[in-house]
Amino acid sequence: MTIPLAHYLILSGILFSIGLAGVLIRRNILVVFMCLEMMLSAANISLVAFSRAQGTAGIPVYDAQVLSLFIVAIAAAEVSIGLALIVAMFRARRTVDSTSLNSLKD
Amino acid sequence: MNDIATYCSATYTWAQFTPAFILIGVAAVLLMADTFIKALPKRAYAVTAALSVLLVGCYTVSGEHTNAYSFLACLATGLSILVAYDYTKVSCASIAGGTSDEGTGEFYALPLVACAGILCLTQAADLIMIFVSLEVVTLTSYVLAGYFRRNQGSIEAGIKYLVLGAMSTGILVFGAAWYFGMTGTFILDSDVVIKTLSGSVASGTVAIGFLMSVALLFLGAFFKVGAAPMHVWIPDVYQGAPTPTTTFLAVASKTAGFALLCALVVPFRSKLLAIPGTHVADMLVNVFAVVAGATLLIGNLGALFQSNAKRLLGYSSIGQAGFILVFFLNLNPPDFLKISEHLSGPVEVLTYKYLLAYTLATVAAFFAIAMVRTQRGSEEISAFRGLGKTNPRTAFLIVVSFASLAGVPLTMGFMVKMASFFALVGAMQSWTYLVWLLPIMILTATAGFYYYFKIIRAMYWEKPQSGDKPLCVPFCTACVMTACAIALIVLGTWPLLTAFK
Repeated sequence: MTIPLAHYLILSGILFSIGLAGVLIRRNILVVFMCLEMMLSAANISLVAFSRAQGTAGIPVYDAQVLSLFIVAIAAAEVSIGLALIVAMFRARRTVDSTSLNSLKD
Repeated sequence: MNDIATYCSATYTWAQFTPAFILIGVAAVLLMADTFIKALPKRAYAVTAALSVLLVGCYTVSGEHTNAYSFLACLATGLSILVAYDYTKVSCASIAGGTSDEGTGEFYALPLVACAGILCLTQAADLIMIFVSLEVVTLTSYVLAGYFRRNQGSIEAGIKYLVLGAMSTGILVFGAAWYFGMTGTFILDSDVVIKTLSGSVASGTVAIGFLMSVALLFLGAFFKVGAAPMHVWIPDVYQGAPTPTTTFLAVASKTAGFALLCALVVPFRSKLLAIPGTHVADMLVNVFAVVAGATLLIGNLGALFQSNAKRLLGYSSIGQAGFILVFFLNLNPPDFLKISEHLSGPVEVLTYKYLLAYTLATVAAFFAIAMVRTQRGSEEISAFRGLGKTNPRTAFLIVVSFASLAGVPLTMGFMVKMASFFALVGAMQSWTYLVWLLPIMILTATAGFYYYFKIIRAMYWEKPQSGDKPLCVPFCTACVMTACAIALIVLGTWPLLTAFK
């Protein structure tokens, strides 16, 4: 039994929506970061599923898997920069709540 | 899928990426030197970095794989490193907390890495290359934006930029995934798109997924250029980030954004109208028109009430992006509109000219802001008070750059803004209803005169306070501002002289 493509796409769509909603709603920067990672993972699931679906005779199109590897690598770099900034923010303000980011406004 | 397999890999040559490799090499050498040779003054790094990126810029012009955006990116990066060179006093105070230049070396080396990313982006023909090179630019920019870790504003700018930037990256890769799923390749090519769309007209199913992917890709690109739904980061990040970084974001990163946007519209350039039953060209024009209109309104009207010069330039960069987006309404300019070669042409050429005018004027403005911040300790517009009396020559150079941003005749800003109006008129030949954009453009161009002249008013109409000494203009600032002003005036008057011969 094979799982049809649509199931993967629905899963990735749900993950992407949860991630996007989390970025927009949650106030803790660390949670926002997890949600950002979730959005990238959703793209990865889609890519791998599409790579299999576009392939012929059981051989996937590897282009998509290459991109998903790049996404994993870049997500790791992004997190390292992000955590460094969060540490700097915590040192300066003693909180990681995004509502405290209010010194720049009109 | 076999017929599409012929497109399955984009072909690149090593020679295309030589300038990027050179920049990465120089950046690596500088970073190593920063770690191991403590005795070397950090300003030497700034000089090396700026010189090498400007030389690479000259190389990209003469090279075989020439691309106008590559030159512009190198120019913008080089000039923003020079801003950093004259900003050392503030950098040292904000990084090491004193007059020591400890830890400031990377501040000059990292823009080179970002510039290498932009150079790769300008050569990209498929979404994998676009994604990776774009991330090289943005990841470096996050570090640069949050670099002044003793400064609350800089940290806040870094985090805001990172969260919103990473969100737009997520949107972009999700779009890329669906583009691959619908077309079977990552290559941006009109044949691929036409094949996908004409296959989907009968079934009507693929087109929705494909349109969704294109919409997500464009949203990601709109973030980089600061267009309407994705512009929210610009004012905060521009205000909070260190001034040299803000310069980099305003000019180099914006160039990257428009290079990305030009790469994304490649498949939609010419043959799309030939497919019956799809309205993709119409949809694209409508989307660009709405985005351009909203960007113009938000950028220019938001700038009216600003009192911080960096935030003002942030809103101004949104507004200027709106004028550039108007070029994208006219992807295939009709021949009869060629009144003058300076006012019409392919969208890449017009965008390049606009970006060049914007870069020259904005860099000069940021040099002035950095100078005022270093010596008067403030980035408010009121800190420019009385410069017309105390520093008449510098004040004149600032006037030229802001006049060009506003679009005063005889400056380059006027010519390119004129080209933007002509692009709209050209688009109206095919889509008459786009006339609704015309009043918005006129209104926002007028608003530009009001807010850019706030700084000019502060310089000439406000009296210097009793303690105000004349600013001491650093050598580098003086050279670059003079060169920018001369270039703006020459490039603004030369077309007029040649047009009426």
